[in-house]
Amino acid sequence: MTNNMTLGQRFLANEWSALAVAILVGLVVLASMSPAFLTEFNLYVMLRSFCVVLIVAFAQMLTLAVGHMNLSVGALGGLVAIAVGGMMEKWGFPVPVAVLAGLAIGAAGGLINGLLTVRTGINGFIITLATASAFTGINLGITESIPFYNLPAGFVAFGTGRLYALPYLLLPPVLIALALAFFLARTVPGRQLLAVGGNPHAAELSGIPRDRVIVMAHTLSGLLAGAAAILAVAQLGSAQPSIGVDWLLMSFAAPIIGGAALTGGHISVAATALAVVLIVIIQNGMVLAKVDPYWVQFLLGALILAAVGLNRLRAVRAGGA
Amino acid sequence: MTLSVSSQSRARPSWLAEQSNLIGLAVIIVLFWVLFTSLAPGFVSSFNLFALSRSLAVDIVIGFSTMVVLATGGMNLAIGSIGVCAVMASGYLMQTIGLPIPVAMALALLLGAFLGWLNGFVIVRSGVNSFIITLASASLFLGGMLILSKAQTFNALPPEIAAFGRMRWGFLSPLLFVALGLGAALIVLFRFTALGREILAAGANPRAAELSGVPVGRAIIIAHTLSGALAASAGLMLVFRLGAAMPSIGQDWLLPSFLAPVLGGTLLAGGFVSVVGTILGALLVTTLRSGLLVMQVGNFWLQLFLGLILLFAVMVDRYRGVYAERRSLGRKNPRQTSGRSA
Amino acid sequence: MNNRHRGARSRALPMLAAALMGLAAGSAYASDNKIALIPGGPHPYFAPWEQAGKDAAKDFGIAAVDFKVPSEWKLNLQTELVESLVTQGYNAFGIFPGDAVGINSTVEELSANNIPSLALAGCAQDPTKVSFCFGTDVYNSAYLGTKALIEALGGKGKIVHLAGLLVDPNTKLRMDAVEKAASETNGAVTVVQHITDTDAQEAADQKINALLGAQKDEIDGLISTAYIPSVVAAKSLRNLGDKRIKLVGIDDDQIVLDAIKDGFAAGTMAQNPYGQGYVGAYVLDLLASGTCTVKAEAPFVKTPQTERFIDSGTLLISNANAATYKDDLKKITTEIQASFKDKYLDCK
Repeated sequence: MTNNMTLGQRFLANEWSALAVAILVGLVVLASMSPAFLTEFNLYVMLRSFCVVLIVAFAQMLTLAVGHMNLSVGALGGLVAIAVGGMMEKWGFPVPVAVLAGLAIGAAGGLINGLLTVRTGINGFIITLATASAFTGINLGITESIPFYNLPAGFVAFGTGRLYALPYLLLPPVLIALALAFFLARTVPGRQLLAVGGNPHAAELSGIPRDRVIVMAHTLSGLLAGAAAILAVAQLGSAQPSIGVDWLLMSFAAPIIGGAALTGGHISVAATALAVVLIVIIQNGMVLAKVDPYWVQFLLGALILAAVGLNRLRAVRAGGA
Repeated sequence: MTLSVSSQSRARPSWLAEQSNLIGLAVIIVLFWVLFTSLAPGFVSSFNLFALSRSLAVDIVIGFSTMVVLATGGMNLAIGSIGVCAVMASGYLMQTIGLPIPVAMALALLLGAFLGWLNGFVIVRSGVNSFIITLASASLFLGGMLILSKAQTFNALPPEIAAFGRMRWGFLSPLLFVALGLGAALIVLFRFTALGREILAAGANPRAAELSGVPVGRAIIIAHTLSGALAASAGLMLVFRLGAAMPSIGQDWLLPSFLAPVLGGTLLAGGFVSVVGTILGALLVTTLRSGLLVMQVGNFWLQLFLGLILLFAVMVDRYRGVYAERRSLGRKNPRQTSGRSA
Repeated sequence: MNNRHRGARSRALPMLAAALMGLAAGSAYASDNKIALIPGGPHPYFAPWEQAGKDAAKDFGIAAVDFKVPSEWKLNLQTELVESLVTQGYNAFGIFPGDAVGINSTVEELSANNIPSLALAGCAQDPTKVSFCFGTDVYNSAYLGTKALIEALGGKGKIVHLAGLLVDPNTKLRMDAVEKAASETNGAVTVVQHITDTDAQEAADQKINALLGAQKDEIDGLISTAYIPSVVAAKSLRNLGDKRIKLVGIDDDQIVLDAIKDGFAAGTMAQNPYGQGYVGAYVLDLLASGTCTVKAEAPFVKTPQTERFIDSGTLLISNANAATYKDDLKKITTEIQASFKDKYLDCK
């Protein structure tokens, strides 16, 4: 079927294409509408809000890859955020120790999700709904909803510092994206992960330890949720117990807009990243265009439906050709 | 692996297993009541019982709303958004248009049913997972409501609304009887009507149901319509309770909506519901919430307990399911079992 | 900040001690009322209520004045907390309504059980059964704040309003007040935009930075009418190193006060949370004991929300009075408390 495709058709068949076009259109429209859009500070602002959302999207993407879902990304993120804040403020842990301990807590939370799902065979939706409530409960119980404010100055400076338009905060997400792309494409566990998501039975027949791969996906998802939380703490300059409460919709929106199938096996690091770029541009554009704030909710929902519809259409066309 | 359908037959727990689950749940509830009453005598004061009965009524109906969709093996994340749309519509109709209360309520229920129908229609037509569709529609409905209402509370409703919310029958709220009435109607639907059986069949094994002539798509759409109407009723109950139509209603329904039916033994994979179980599940949750508050365990730890209870309940549900399956389908390979419902 | 934190953690012990002492001493107190002060949810604004409650209990000999926080900003969590406290024997409530309308059905039940309640810091919407509302006149405070901003701008410019939660009815009042102050300049000052739902850290950080990123050269002033956006805006302007954009915030968070000192903010509207808690507890004790009732014809202020409003005081903190404003607030509190009985109550 590829033989008689025009260049345009081939471009449209690529899942990045629609995203890339949408981003370009958005950039052009916003830049022509407001000269402030492409200023150094605004670019910095956009890149900075890109960081946390991207890692949150990756956290969800990994569970989607094996056909599971993680409703506890936000709750786990909140828990890690206050744990890191508490360790630095109350116990005076040095920053690297606190960060590593926070990542460990995130990974442990993910491990619990994974083990519970695999061992009991219960729907991951319910397991992570329950653990999300438990994580939030621990968070609220420890902090009584009072943030940790007194964080080391160096850590906070990292969250606000920039080199021209480039926030320092952008460094971890870029490294994580590269590592993730490498992991999924070039390493054995990464490929196993995709294989399990694509066709669990075939994967199992070919000797891939299915359960172990699923547990790994959940653990990595928890680890990334923890990483996102630590970045959020640096960005805000305080460890808020409310970090993560609004991650859920975003975490699904970006991978799904980026084309991940909920049935697993089909994810793309680059497309997810582009989807996050698109979301950030839209959010920034809303403020710029002084759009009624009520529209944000509505547009996000519409965007997900549009993306799902588009993917569906593409799948049908590909299947029919 | 998908959430919406399971391709293999799902064994329904035996009658005995079902009853034992309900009895077990009832025993746990009684134990908690004894515990809370002995530790905090105020727990059974008429003030607290009335407050309990009113929040119980709402929790039950929210649970029903999720339960009817679970029957088809799907889920509805949009019940909170549908609920608040119905709430704001009723407020608008009563306060701005000045329609009489019953007409406004009926129209709000219709709106809820319509939004639910929309969910079901899109799910069936697109073939996309109900999780994604309702995740997106939840955000669409909520956004649409906010755009239209500008998040303005309707607070000049007819005084009868608030009066009904405060009304007491003995030491119980009449709202509880409304919830129980809805429960009775659902029992009739699922036990005695062809439609109810079709919905369950569509959830148990869609392919087999299709082959035996059950209109699976129609059953799913009807279940979602029903879910929307029930979500709207839960919202309207809150309008009575608060005496106002507020845009913040419904935003924390997700957890309780799953807690009640799952505790009550409704299967996540579809094909089996327990109306009485859902009522008992809601009672357990309401009891715990109120009891822990009265005992000053600290409202901050409450969320942790609810999460752990849900976890515990689904594990029990799982092992009960495995047990029931072993009995009816002894030859099934347990590995496949876990793969299907995960 | 840190003090508050420790306070919250360590309040269990003293509370227990107070309860035990209450049991043992019994009639040692002037009154055996148990009063609860309940904010709408966790928020730094309410932190002074805890100390205010303790001081009131000591000064007026009340058995207990406890500060009880709902775990999240949700009306149903607040009403459940109130209901459970009634069950535990609390017999007077000072409440910040989690929703100005939604709280009324709970208040009505309290009054049906002869339990008095006050709306503190924020009002309940009339018709309501709270005895009266004692708080900052939000409309007036936003109006005065905007006036101060306009003055700092030299009477002309473009301003943006950073507001709190959309579901909070006070937000609408504040928007109206900002518009009114601007319209009085006959077009010299225009309100470019109201940015709402900024009273949470993440949302505030994202929205305010996006605003500054996109339009920092087009706007001249920021008026913030909620706690968090005031802090975030002060921080962002400092980051940006921008002293051209004038900011008038609300409340006295240390970050905002520092910004005023260093010239990144023109001023901030102080509210009087301590006075609200202290005087509120004092009045609730009198009402719950049955010694006093609220006068029907008391000199209440009428606001769009309620006919029975009492102002707890507000003042502009600027570089001129940054060192002394706390004393000024204390003075206001003492004055209100001293004249309260005569002005608003009928006592036996």
